[in-house]
Amino acid sequence: MQQESMAREGQSGKAKTTARFRQGSAIRQLWETNLEVFQRDKMALFGLFIFAVFAVVAILAPQIAPNDPLNPLKNNEGDWIKDAMPYWLAEPGEDEAEGYTNTFLLGTTNIGRDIFSQLIHGSRSALLVGFSAAAAVAVIGTVIGLLAGYYGGWVDTILMRAADVAFGIPFIPFIIVISAFFDPSIWNVVIAMALLLWRDTGRVIRSQVLVIKEQAFVSAAHVSGASDLRIIFVYIAPSILPLSFLYGSFAIAWAILTEASVSFLGFSDPETISWGYMLQDAFNSLALSREAFYWIVPPGLCIMLTVMAGFFIGRGYEEVLFPRLRRM
Amino acid sequence: MTILSIRDLSVNYATQDGTVQAVDGVSLDLEEGQRLGLIGESGCGKTTLLKAIVQVLPRNGRIAGGKILFKGMDLLQLPAAEMRQLRWREIATIPQASMDSLNPVQRVGSQLTKLLRVRGGYSKKAALKRAADLFDLVGLDTERLSHYPHEFSGGMKQRAVIAMALALEPSLLIADEPVTALDVIVQHQILEVLRELEQELNLTVMLITHDISVVAQVCDSVSVMYAGRIVEQAAAEPFFSSPAHPYSLGLQQAFPNLARPRDVLVSIEGYPPDLREPPSGCRFAERCPFVQDACHDIDPKLEAIGDSRAAACLRSNEMDVLRVQSEDPSLWQRVEVAQGLAPTLDPSPKMREGLFASPAEAQRVHAPLAPLWGKEPGDGGGDVLVQLQNVSKRFKIGGGLAGLLRGDKEQTVYAVNNISFSLRRGESLGLAGESGCGKSTTGKLLVKLIDASDGEIIFDGADLAAMDDDSLLAFRSRVQLMFQNPFEALNPRFTLYRSLTEPLVIHGWKDENKRLDRVIETLDRVNLRPAEVFLDKYPHQLSGGQLQRVVLARALVLHPDFLVADEPVSMLDVSVRAGILNTTRRLARELGLATVYISHDLSLLQYTCDRIAIMYLGEIVEIGPSNQVINNPQHPYTKALIAAVPVPDPTIENPPLRIQEGVPRPTEQFIGCPFAQRCPDAMEACLTVRPPLITDENEHRAQCHLYGEHRDSPKLKRQLP
Repeated sequence: MQQESMAREGQSGKAKTTARFRQGSAIRQLWETNLEVFQRDKMALFGLFIFAVFAVVAILAPQIAPNDPLNPLKNNEGDWIKDAMPYWLAEPGEDEAEGYTNTFLLGTTNIGRDIFSQLIHGSRSALLVGFSAAAAVAVIGTVIGLLAGYYGGWVDTILMRAADVAFGIPFIPFIIVISAFFDPSIWNVVIAMALLLWRDTGRVIRSQVLVIKEQAFVSAAHVSGASDLRIIFVYIAPSILPLSFLYGSFAIAWAILTEASVSFLGFSDPETISWGYMLQDAFNSLALSREAFYWIVPPGLCIMLTVMAGFFIGRGYEEVLFPRLRRM
Repeated sequence: MTILSIRDLSVNYATQDGTVQAVDGVSLDLEEGQRLGLIGESGCGKTTLLKAIVQVLPRNGRIAGGKILFKGMDLLQLPAAEMRQLRWREIATIPQASMDSLNPVQRVGSQLTKLLRVRGGYSKKAALKRAADLFDLVGLDTERLSHYPHEFSGGMKQRAVIAMALALEPSLLIADEPVTALDVIVQHQILEVLRELEQELNLTVMLITHDISVVAQVCDSVSVMYAGRIVEQAAAEPFFSSPAHPYSLGLQQAFPNLARPRDVLVSIEGYPPDLREPPSGCRFAERCPFVQDACHDIDPKLEAIGDSRAAACLRSNEMDVLRVQSEDPSLWQRVEVAQGLAPTLDPSPKMREGLFASPAEAQRVHAPLAPLWGKEPGDGGGDVLVQLQNVSKRFKIGGGLAGLLRGDKEQTVYAVNNISFSLRRGESLGLAGESGCGKSTTGKLLVKLIDASDGEIIFDGADLAAMDDDSLLAFRSRVQLMFQNPFEALNPRFTLYRSLTEPLVIHGWKDENKRLDRVIETLDRVNLRPAEVFLDKYPHQLSGGQLQRVVLARALVLHPDFLVADEPVSMLDVSVRAGILNTTRRLARELGLATVYISHDLSLLQYTCDRIAIMYLGEIVEIGPSNQVINNPQHPYTKALIAAVPVPDPTIENPPLRIQEGVPRPTEQFIGCPFAQRCPDAMEACLTVRPPLITDENEHRAQCHLYGEHRDSPKLKRQLP
């Protein structure tokens, strides 16, 4: 009797033990690493906060923006409200004389579009480009790095020579060529980045894989009979994923910056508002010479903030991944 | 004259978790011409003491009290500028891993002359002459002055470092682990150099090492350090013949000794105490087999016993009796109860509920386990399990596109060259040789981490090269590898349970409860108890010795038939080495496991193996029963290896070594004997005719012309070192 009950107790104890160890999965660990980044580094947390704010703005853009960003605003007589100053800058009474009520936080453009609404809608393309390009770069780079590093030999040779070719292609001209081939669209930037920028991520991941795969615990997995895929994804990948996040977060910043540059050069879709497009619009309509800072500064500031956010988060990963850098 | 006199020195390190008293009240005197060996396991404060003497403590280190008098000067009161003058000129140090301290982009000679000119005020011409003299002194060719460090072998670099330390004729030389990580032949030669220099220059030396046999060879007195204190001080001969502190007793009996082999080595289980809160009583009490109640309360002082020795032990007057008792290894044995993991030994009520059926069970020491996992005990007489026939492994280097562009010719390295041997169930074979002799490559071939270029490896009747996926998986469950570096052998991201259960998952054990049973049973077997405490730990939470037990457990969790252990203890502290070896040996017997040990340490192989094979340049030059190979070596290479092993006994002097250091790279296949270039007994036939395999009645084989039909071939004329 007593023995039996003890055995049962042992059984239940064991079941609980098992449950405890099951939880130690790779995904949870990864989550913990990510959590650690933001707990330790307040800058990274700040970056995350910026992204969060922009994300909310982007999602709620139609609700937040007071006007349509593309349609010119018209006064009582049906004329465009060109070059209106922000209401807090304009001469009182001027709007009534022109036949409209000035409620524009940042004024209007030379063809009467509401600048504030453009700014709000611009966050959509920025985040869309930023995150999809970053995801593409991180995923492609990680997979290529893993394969090249793990298999070595001719797989490595082919992939790394392809990376060399990618390194040899100048980036902005490449996007211009892509834009010439396809219709103007913000996706051109994403495609171009996916085609070229995996090279850095791939190289770095590969070098890391080369180090890890020589470690004894990987040989141990081989000797235990683990398959190649199991070794790559269970043993090696969890160690290098934070590194892909690092490169991913830098890629967000890069993508937004690139999209702005390309738009500024005039290769973007005129039907999609982005911050770069706003700058180009302002530049072309000589806003600078009219000292219309309310047109130029806000999109510039937004670009700067999102890029900074990307780099802050990247820095946070660096601190956790390479703690030695911190002390130097 | 007393050169160095340390009085009550204490050194603290400020860490995040409190103050560590790394050195605590150490007093020490060093007379002119004395050669003091400072021994102890790692973390006992040896290196901290050295750093305190030359005052290069790290930033968080602080001298908390005491005096360091050097020729009457109090070093602790000396201004920094004057202290700088003393280093090199008066106190020279050879730091740990100093071979790597040579500047790789400067010629070794110019590093030496620069030192002489800047610190010693030599003129350019005088510095050159002095540098040449110094190279001569340490046995380096003066032509080598114009070479870069990468053109030097490890031993030559170490000689150069010694030359630099001696450059300004210091009155005191402190060497920290000067021969650790060197090959046995090189080690022997460096010790030889140190010995000669001591006599020639009448040097005062302080030698810090964990290896008591090095001390036995070079030093005339010994200080044993434990947990920041000196626990025994004695002249070398009485220390080695009759140690007076239980820790010294343990250290001596933990060392395999070629001259006096033991049946079972002693392992000092456990760990040094936490120096943030050192125990109030004797610091060794936790690990001491002779501990009494008083030991936990009274802190023993270092007290003189006899004229030339002192020990810090309450029972030092009974030492003659204890010494005899200490020969019994079972006295030292204790189960590896999670020491060092103490916080989790008192788990929260919830965790305890989860882990153990009852709190008492948490502390339980398991009853002895059944001796076998349903297999026949190994007596070395089983049937043949592994057989190698003319196995070779070649690597190509310098080829490929990059090599083509650089104009490098593709070279072939004959890492393993035409070896054959067989291994029975339950038998253990040791592979020995210098590094670069193909030992590890052979190990990798045996577990099929790499494939042989030529020849056949037959495992239990099946050819490794011709296995399909299913039989390969089956093979993988029967053959396991144990690694040199336990800190790298486990996935740092896995809990120990995950690491141990992986092989079972791979081999299709679906039932998690069964897996857990097996894992716990295996941890039990390797003496990690209670096993449950270890399951949710990560590798970095364990000590090296515990980790190596986990590595062993992972190798055994599938109940294999064949285990390859590649330098299983070389990264571990001396005190725990024996524990790992004993456990491995016991389990191999219990399991009827065939084992291959790969090691450069012949005394270790003699202790663990039934047979030993000596490898040179990818070939097995001698193989036979351990005692035969060690006591009656046939091949000149084996003789040289055995002569080079330092014996932990100052009364035994090693025979002179008759070969030079340096294993050539095996990039060509030899027509004659591969060892002919270095062989002291080489004959003309050795260069042109393949030596025959000579077998005696004990299955003791050697591949050498000295015993064959060409034994009368004329000897080659060459200079001996």
